[in-house]
Formats: sequence, C-alpha cells, structure tokens
Amino acid sequence: MATHSPTTPNWNRFKFPDSAIRWGSWFAAFVFLAYSVEYLNIPLDRLLGMLGRMGDTLANRYYPPDIDYIMNADYMQYVVETVQMAYLGALFGLLLTLPLGWFAAHNITPSRRYVYPVARLVTMGFRAVHEMIWAIIFVTILGFGMLPGVIALTFFCTGFAGKLFAEEIEAIDMGPVDAIKATGANLLQVVIFGVLPQVRVAFTGIAIYTWDVAFRAATVVGFFGAGGMGWYLKRNVLQIETERVAAILLSIVVLVIISEIVSAWARSRVMKMK
Amino acid sequence: MAILEVRNLTARYSAAGPEILKGISFDVEDNDFFAVIGPSGAGKSTLIRCINHLVEPTSGEIVFDHRNVTQLNNREMRGLRRDIGMIFQEFNLIDRMSVMDNVLSGRLGDTSTFRSILRAFSKSDIQHALTLLERVGLIDHVDKRADELSGGQRQRVGIARALMQDPKLLLLDEPTSALDPKISREIMALIKEMAHELKVPCLCNIHDVNLAMEFCNKILGLQDGVVMFNGPTQDMNQDKLNEIYAMEVL
Amino acid sequence: MSAATRTTVEDIIERRRKARLGRSVFYLILFALVVWSIQITIIDDTDWARMGSLDNVLEAAGQFLAVDVSLFPDLIEPAIETFMIACLGTLLGVVICIPAAWFGAVNITPFKPVTYPLARLMMTLSRSIHEIVWALFFVAAVGLGALAGVFAIAVRSLGFIAKMSAEAIEDIDPGPVEAIKATGASPIQIVVYAILPQVLPQVLGVIIFEWEINIRRSAILGLVGAGGLGLVFFRQMNTFNFAGVTSVIITILAIILIGEVVSHFVRKSTI
Repeated sequence: MATHSPTTPNWNRFKFPDSAIRWGSWFAAFVFLAYSVEYLNIPLDRLLGMLGRMGDTLANRYYPPDIDYIMNADYMQYVVETVQMAYLGALFGLLLTLPLGWFAAHNITPSRRYVYPVARLVTMGFRAVHEMIWAIIFVTILGFGMLPGVIALTFFCTGFAGKLFAEEIEAIDMGPVDAIKATGANLLQVVIFGVLPQVRVAFTGIAIYTWDVAFRAATVVGFFGAGGMGWYLKRNVLQIETERVAAILLSIVVLVIISEIVSAWARSRVMKMK
Repeated sequence: MAILEVRNLTARYSAAGPEILKGISFDVEDNDFFAVIGPSGAGKSTLIRCINHLVEPTSGEIVFDHRNVTQLNNREMRGLRRDIGMIFQEFNLIDRMSVMDNVLSGRLGDTSTFRSILRAFSKSDIQHALTLLERVGLIDHVDKRADELSGGQRQRVGIARALMQDPKLLLLDEPTSALDPKISREIMALIKEMAHELKVPCLCNIHDVNLAMEFCNKILGLQDGVVMFNGPTQDMNQDKLNEIYAMEVL
Repeated sequence: MSAATRTTVEDIIERRRKARLGRSVFYLILFALVVWSIQITIIDDTDWARMGSLDNVLEAAGQFLAVDVSLFPDLIEPAIETFMIACLGTLLGVVICIPAAWFGAVNITPFKPVTYPLARLMMTLSRSIHEIVWALFFVAAVGLGALAGVFAIAVRSLGFIAKMSAEAIEDIDPGPVEAIKATGASPIQIVVYAILPQVLPQVLGVIIFEWEINIRRSAILGLVGAGGLGLVFFRQMNTFNFAGVTSVIITILAIILIGEVVSHFVRKSTI
C-alpha cells in the first residue's frame, strides 16, 4: 500500500464559504419546519394513534358506500352537468388563452412595454387565485347555478393554460417567424403562419392538461354553490351522511379516472401526430 | 495457483435465448495482463461480467482466489466484488459527484451504510484516494465534478476508483473504446504500469488487437462463444488472428 | 409528363377539399355540442330574474372592489399558518413519496406484479381527488385545524411528485449503477450513490414546483376547516364583509408572491 508521500496535499470536504452557506440554509429550513410544527400545535406523539383512528373511521363510517343513493337519474343529471361545465370552462379558457398567451410571450408580443406586462399580470393573477375562490366570488355576484361555475372555471383555465402557452411560444424557433415577417405580412399573419404551426402540437397537449384540471375542479365547485355534483357532496357532508359522502367521493374518483384514461389516449394520439 | 480459474463456462441471457458462452476454460496467473479479443458478439463482455457475477453463468465453474463464484450467497458475493475492481468502456462515473467522491466510492464495500450516506470516509481512505489521484495525474482536479472532465481524465478516475478497492484482480471492459488512439495508448500504459506496481493481475476485454498485442502478455481469442486461441502473445500470428476474426472478414 | 402532373394536382386539390369538408363537419358537430351545453348549463339553469339587470350584477361585483385595510393586522397570523401548512404538507408529501416512487419505478420496484400497480393506483388517487375533498376527509378524521390541512396537502402532492420521481428513476443511466454494484456496495449504497445523484436535480425541481402550488392550495383549505386564511375568508363571506374578502385575497396573492421569489432563489442556487 502506498505510504504518505510528502507532496500529497491535505483535503477537506468542508469548503468555506460554500459549505457553510449550504449547511446554514439547510439548518435554517430545519429550524423553520420544527418551529412550524410547534406553531401549528401538531401533536407529533399522538400522530400514530391518529392514523389508527383514521383507519377506524374509514372502515366504520365510510364503508360500505351508499351506492344506491347516487344511482338515480337526478344525480346522473348533475354528473352530466359537471362534465358540461368542465368542458365549457376549458373551452372558453383555451379560446381566451390564444390571444392572451400570444400577448404574454416575450418574443412575439405586440408591445413589449405595455401589452406584455399587462398580459403577464393578468395570466398570473387569474392563475394565482384558486378556482374555488373564483367560484365563491362569482356565486356571490351572480347567485347559485352553473353560470358562475363556468365563468370561474374559465378564469382559472385562462390563467393556467395562459402561462403554459406563453412558455411554449417563447421556446419556438424564431427563424420561420422572421421569414414570414420578411414577406411583409402583418403581425396577425406572422402569428398564424409563423408561430401557430410550431406550437400546434404543444397547444393540444396543454388543452388536454387543462381539461383534466378543469374537470377535477368542476366536481367540487358545486360545494360552494356553483353547480355540479359538488352540491350533492355539500348537502351530505352537512348532514353527516358519511356513507353517502363515500358514494359521492367514489363516483368522483371513478369519473376523474375515466377522464384521465381518455386524456391519456388523446395525448398518445397527439404524440403520434408529432 | 492461478488467481482465477474458469472451467467450461456457459452463459445465456435468458432461458430461451441463444448460448453466448459455450464452454470457456482458461486461467489467469498472478502477474498476467490477459487480453480477451474477438469479433463483436463473441461473448467478450459477457465473459468479463461473469467473473464478478454481474451476469449469471448457466453452468461451469469460476474459482477466484479459492472462492467458487457461482456458489456464493449475496453477502459473500459483495465480498467477492470488493476484491475485484472493474473499469468500464463508458467510464460509468457518477457525473454530479466530485472526482474525490467518485474515487472514494470504490471503498463502499468496506464502508458502513450509515457512514457512506454521510460520505464520512476514513482518513486513511481519503489519503489512499489522494495518493491514487496523484499517481493518475488528477491531483489538481480533485473537487471538480466528474462531468467537467475529458474522456481520458474520466477513465483515469475510473482507474483510481477501481484500484481504491485494493483489488486482487482488475476486470477491464473495453477501457479505451471510447477514447481516441493517442489517449488510448496512454491509458493502457497507465493501467499496465499501476497494475504492475500494485501487483494486480488484469483480465481485459479489448477491441483493438494492436493494443492487445502491445500491452498484454497473454491472449484469449473468442469467436462465437468458443475459445479459438489461448496462449502467450508471442504465439499469436496473422493466421491465427484471421481464424478468430473469420466471421468479420466474411 | 403534363398529363401525369395534371392528374396529381387535381388529386391533391380534391383531397384537400375532402379533408376540409371532414374538418368542417367535425367542427360543426362540436359547435352544436357547445351550443347545446351552453343552453342547458347557463341559459336554462340560471335564475335570470333573481340576477337582475346588468347594473345589478356590476353593483354586486363592485362590492369586491373595496379593501378593508383594518383587517390586515389580523391576517398576519393566518397567513403564516397557511405558509407553514404548505411547507409541512410538502415535506410530509416528499417523505411518503419515497416508497411510492420506489414502488412506482419499473426498474427498481421490488415485486413488479404487486408493488408497481399499487404505487400507480396511489398516485392516480392522489391526483384525481381534489384537495378540498382530501381536506374534508382529514377534517372528519383528525378534526378541524392545521393538521388536517397538512395531511391533505401531503396526500395531494404525492401523486405528482411520486410520478415525476418514478419517471426520473426509470430514465437513469444503468452504467453507474453497474459500476457501484461492481465495487461490492450494498443495495442501499447503490441507491444513494448511483441512482439518487442522477435523479436529484429533476426531483428537487418538481418538489419546488409543487410547493408553490401548495401555497395556493393551503390558502383555501380553511374554507372547509383545515386552517389558515381560508377560515378568515369564510368568516368574511358569512358576515358579508366583501371588502374584507378582498383583503384576504390580496394577502393570499402576497404569500404566493413570496413563494415565487423563494422558489426562484432556490432554483438558481441548485440549478
């Protein structure tokens, strides 16, 4: 085995200041999280017992789910309405995303000084507000029903898809765009012939993703009065009809899974088109 | 006694698949730099990987350092692998880790799980790593990330990592195929020198026959899973080479 | 030559016409479907009389345009609570992701016929159920308050983080794994040295991404009793203090902004 040669230097894993900063940050984060547990009164010692009780609650009060309760025409109508709300919201949202994404894309926005920041702000704002908050706001303004639901979903989808779409546009190859510009086309024509073909496939992917998210939200907005099966959920939660709640949740899960299977199929078709 | 004795080794990748190795027998002595040559698909890579059981042989015997490779349990297998160092064609370094950590990872077999997760290797391990890195000429790159190095440099790290294990045998799987000719020669020379200094025999799967003839003292010629030549390098001539590579010529 | 090209050009024109026709029919059907849906969901369902005129609607909307400034000091504590719920929830989510991603990665799952589908099922369930529903469940299970929120966030995040991590694991280069195996390392060491470094950048990115979204989610879980600003929102709505509602929304936007700033810095430092 080699002996310690006089020219072999010493080596230390701890490098100042990089290691100090890294370890310092991790420690600070750890302290914050520990403080949070304290601040939120989370009983770490009783946690495991709670998990056991959760299992009991599930087994006793939520099982068996009252399937008969939901197997009627009235509920099915609510389900259909939920689906309709979802795709109307997604559709209108995506229609609005087309111009909004364009304006919010740094490379082809009509005006970098005025239109771009406004569009970015609008997208971020619509996205930051949770879809449930949108639902509650519009229910307050417009009353109960599906109209506030559709509008809330539209606002949410516009923000959601808008950000993704703008990012896709910013990632395109500007070569074809410059080429179209060079033919003397106006801005709209440049967008249609230079930009759209490049983002067509990505946009379809975004559309599918938006539908997924919209549908998942649509199943719950009814809880706050905006139409759809969420209304059934609220009624039974308030009345503590836990087996009916279980049945409704089950139906929500099944529907969302079906929707995801359809989306996955649609996405694979889109991938093939690529 | 030979450090490695292989008798009638056969191997296939799946029960229904073709037989890759069809009864290989040879010995590796203590100071050999043994080359395995042959056309693509001859089973050279498979043979190398059977020695440290990365591939499971179908039948036959491999006796390394008095241990029967095919009859070891998991723990003993890890002990066997600790004593066999391996150098790869694509270097197989941990890209995001530093050169030092890559070399130290050669010591994992001898480090407890707890210490290895914290990367708390012993002082003697670190000293050993530094010595090896100096010997391969990378002492100025100790804290660089592995993916910041050139191909030749990466293979040097690979060499240091393999030798970090204080191995009793070095397995080399086409160590120079991913390098340009000049660097290839340097790497082969470096491996031969260090193996000689540390008294470690080598079994080397190599594609370039010229390199094999230049650096190795014994040659095993495989064709289609069968031994066509097994002897000292000076016994090799053009006719025998043609026999081994007959498939390629056609 | 000219006869051949003329037929080909005509063929192309005919094909394009047919394709356009097919597409038009498709869009027509879609349009009809949309109109029908609008009819059912909006036109029929809405109580137009109760909604009143456009002026009434604008007036109702205008109620949200005021801001109740006096409320802000009372919002600091719930805001901190919301932020903490998001952080702890994400952390817990990451912890439960470790087994989920391990089972859900085709190349390292321990017992493929059982563990792999199980993991995939967990991930799907986690993503399919809205966080409000998870919150309802956990409030019923562990009571009102922040703990329910933490659990809801954790379980909701599992789906995305575990799925992305499992995909990252499935994409790794097997070379380093072979190399570490060849040194005689134990299975845990192989995971820590060969697999983890390869997936870490991607996984960290995913965690930060989900953490930001979780801030948004935590803010509304209080609507169903799971702690944080949602509860204040609920109370302001019930007392018809719409200016207060706007204050809460502004606070939510503020902590989301803080989240974006933090995530920007963390991303820059870990690349």
